[in-house]
Amino acid sequence: MTQPSAFKRLAGQEFFGPFLALLIISLFVALTTPSFLDPQNFRNIALQVSILSIVAIGSTIVIITGGIDLSPGSMIAFLTMCLAVFIKNQGMDLGPAIALTLLIGCALGIGNGILVAYVGIPAFIVTLAGLSAFKGLALTLNGGTPAFSLSEQLGQVFYGTFLGLPLPFFYVIGSYLLFMVIMEHTRLGREIYAVGGNENAARLSGINVARVRLIAFSFAGACAAFGAVLLAARLNSGSPNYGANIELQAIAAAVVGGASLAGGRGRVVSSLIGSLIIVVVQNGLNLNAVTTSMQSLTIGLIILIAVGLDVWRARLGRGLARLTGQRTA
Amino acid sequence: MTTPLWELVNICKAFPGVRANDGISIRLNAGEIHALLGENGCGKSTLIKILSGVHQPDNGEIRLNGVPLTLGSPIDARTKGVATVFQEFSLAPTLSVAENIFLGRYPRRGPFVDWARMQAEAERILASLEIRIDPRRLVGSLSVAEQQLVEIAKAISVEATLLILDEPTTALGAHEILVLHNLLRRMKSRGVAVLYISHRLDEVVELVDTATILKDGRVASTAEATRLDIPSIVTAMIGTSVDEHYPKEQNATNEVLIEVEGLWSAAGARGASFSVQRGEVFGLGGVIGSGRTEIARAVFGADKITGGRVRVAGRKLRLRSPRDAIAAGIALVPENRKFDGLFFNFNGGPNITSAAIGSIRRLFLLNKSEEARITTNYIRDLEISPAAATKFVNLLSGGNQQKIVIARWLFAQSQVLILDEPTQGIDIGAKIAVYRLINQLTARGCAVILISSDHAELIAMSDRIGIVRGGAVVETRPASQITHAHLVQASASAATAA
Repeated sequence: MTQPSAFKRLAGQEFFGPFLALLIISLFVALTTPSFLDPQNFRNIALQVSILSIVAIGSTIVIITGGIDLSPGSMIAFLTMCLAVFIKNQGMDLGPAIALTLLIGCALGIGNGILVAYVGIPAFIVTLAGLSAFKGLALTLNGGTPAFSLSEQLGQVFYGTFLGLPLPFFYVIGSYLLFMVIMEHTRLGREIYAVGGNENAARLSGINVARVRLIAFSFAGACAAFGAVLLAARLNSGSPNYGANIELQAIAAAVVGGASLAGGRGRVVSSLIGSLIIVVVQNGLNLNAVTTSMQSLTIGLIILIAVGLDVWRARLGRGLARLTGQRTA
Repeated sequence: MTTPLWELVNICKAFPGVRANDGISIRLNAGEIHALLGENGCGKSTLIKILSGVHQPDNGEIRLNGVPLTLGSPIDARTKGVATVFQEFSLAPTLSVAENIFLGRYPRRGPFVDWARMQAEAERILASLEIRIDPRRLVGSLSVAEQQLVEIAKAISVEATLLILDEPTTALGAHEILVLHNLLRRMKSRGVAVLYISHRLDEVVELVDTATILKDGRVASTAEATRLDIPSIVTAMIGTSVDEHYPKEQNATNEVLIEVEGLWSAAGARGASFSVQRGEVFGLGGVIGSGRTEIARAVFGADKITGGRVRVAGRKLRLRSPRDAIAAGIALVPENRKFDGLFFNFNGGPNITSAAIGSIRRLFLLNKSEEARITTNYIRDLEISPAAATKFVNLLSGGNQQKIVIARWLFAQSQVLILDEPTQGIDIGAKIAVYRLINQLTARGCAVILISSDHAELIAMSDRIGIVRGGAVVETRPASQITHAHLVQASASAATAA
């Protein structure tokens, strides 16, 4: 047997399809819209994708367990308001205020997780309730109005640089490395995939299924909280309207990146590629002055195409397996 | 010889890893009740599914009045005159009896459903079958026996030349069975061919005109050859070459490893007691539904335990979940490996290590090269297909899949292995490999609890056998003192008693 070439090995990876799609889409946008290649535009894309891609990590992990999380958007609205109130109304220092905001995010995620894993309410319902409830919580703070000009230094959290590179670059790389290691190389990651793949078999293998689900939701809370802090820093403000619809984009990023809503399949790194696809498409539409409504429509179509391709690929795979007799290997 | 009404000629059908039907020919004459008999896994279900259009044969012919025809789908089979009553009910519980009988072909007046006619027709059909059920009642509110009768009424409400009944009496009481048998005799006198499948040999010899017996996907006794008395049927079902492929080793010691005392579970163990020694294979015999699987799940902590004790090596266990059982060295190879055993999103390696994943860690990280090494070893030792190392397990044959589930518990170093139907749906080579694994386990001092509906296998591989009825072990004997006929009879009497 010969060693497969580097290209073949790359092509065998689950994220290769989404990666190819990203290249094709970028090429198309670049050819049709010259301003796409402008360095300033690249910077915009990078800043935009940083927040979405971090939130998408949490959504992807929940999807891998076979669940779904509709709550990050409203959670982000609430958490930007928390941060604003801590800094502006309570006069807290930046560090403790951010730390507390992150903790609240984890706690909300754990709350979702308890309701799903231990009370037994379906994830869709729990997080749909969260979508509404967290928005409501956000409106109870600061009289329900946005809080602007929070702090001179807060912007630095987002706009600062390190070694000449913008900080969000490091946040994204750091988060992705951390969660890739957790998902691919730890017992917990293996158990998350096992629960998503076959819950019965996981339980009968001695895996604490409820605990695994709880942890997945707490990760989602932590990722949403990190996104909230970055969003508040970027805009130096908090608002009950921030984060709207980001949960759908994050789910789209996961699915476009190849995660299966049935659970058990998907890679953390794919959700970065998925996020890039969504942001590049949006950016291309923006540059061509396409209206927001058309943009929503386009994102919807992308999700349909991505899932459609997945279904089609699975069918094709089965057909090929039959033809080559792999099934009875 | 006259041309039969329906005829199956040399039907072959293979599934991955198993030849379910291997050249089966059967002649079904008009006005004749024909029994199709055989043990679980002999190919009866596959044959019925081919006749009712669910499966297509790989080879062979179906003939109606001597003319070959294709039954391309269940609807196609139905329109060509095959009515089938399956074991699993196909009724919609939220609809009325009349609606269920006419499901998919409601009588109409113009664009609207003609409810009055549907009602009247349903009443007529039920009356002709002497079934006293109000057609307006919801099916969900009927007893299981009544539902079974509605199912039959539905099947024969359309003109049929062939009526197939798969275990129609499992849920019926004595009176309902009588009603059903009378009904079948009337169908027979109308010139319908009836194919009747049942495990209850007493009622079979009472009812049918002729019987074909299947074994391992082939005809073991043709209709012409079968004598309609229970002992000869049992002999034909068992076959002549029973124990040649059972490489049983005697490894039982005197040291008791697991003791189960008066175990009750919410799911259906009802005061089960037994003990198993190191190196011993303890078989659990009994019919499907007798509670064998429920006892196994309770011992494994998978169902909530409501009473009783389990001791392993003298230590009393607190079994709140499978985790507790695994920690105590108990393992369960579940009956349904697809549903309860395998992770189809993993290749062989993670499937093998899933119950002891903690033992391949280096600090916080999984030692994947160690996992690959372990996988390679099990693939070699258990003769698993090498594809298991790199391919998702859904691409493997049933035998390879089963070996992977067993390897999981070898790797977890379990001491007590509960094997629930471990050879179901796997080919003979893989079966023998599983038997050898059982020998290896007992030689190592493990205790094995074997559940099997394959009586020959159960008798040959067990040291002692406990007969299970109603969730408890009612009788325990050395396997050498139990015959196949004894098990069949015990099962039959259990069914009659139920």
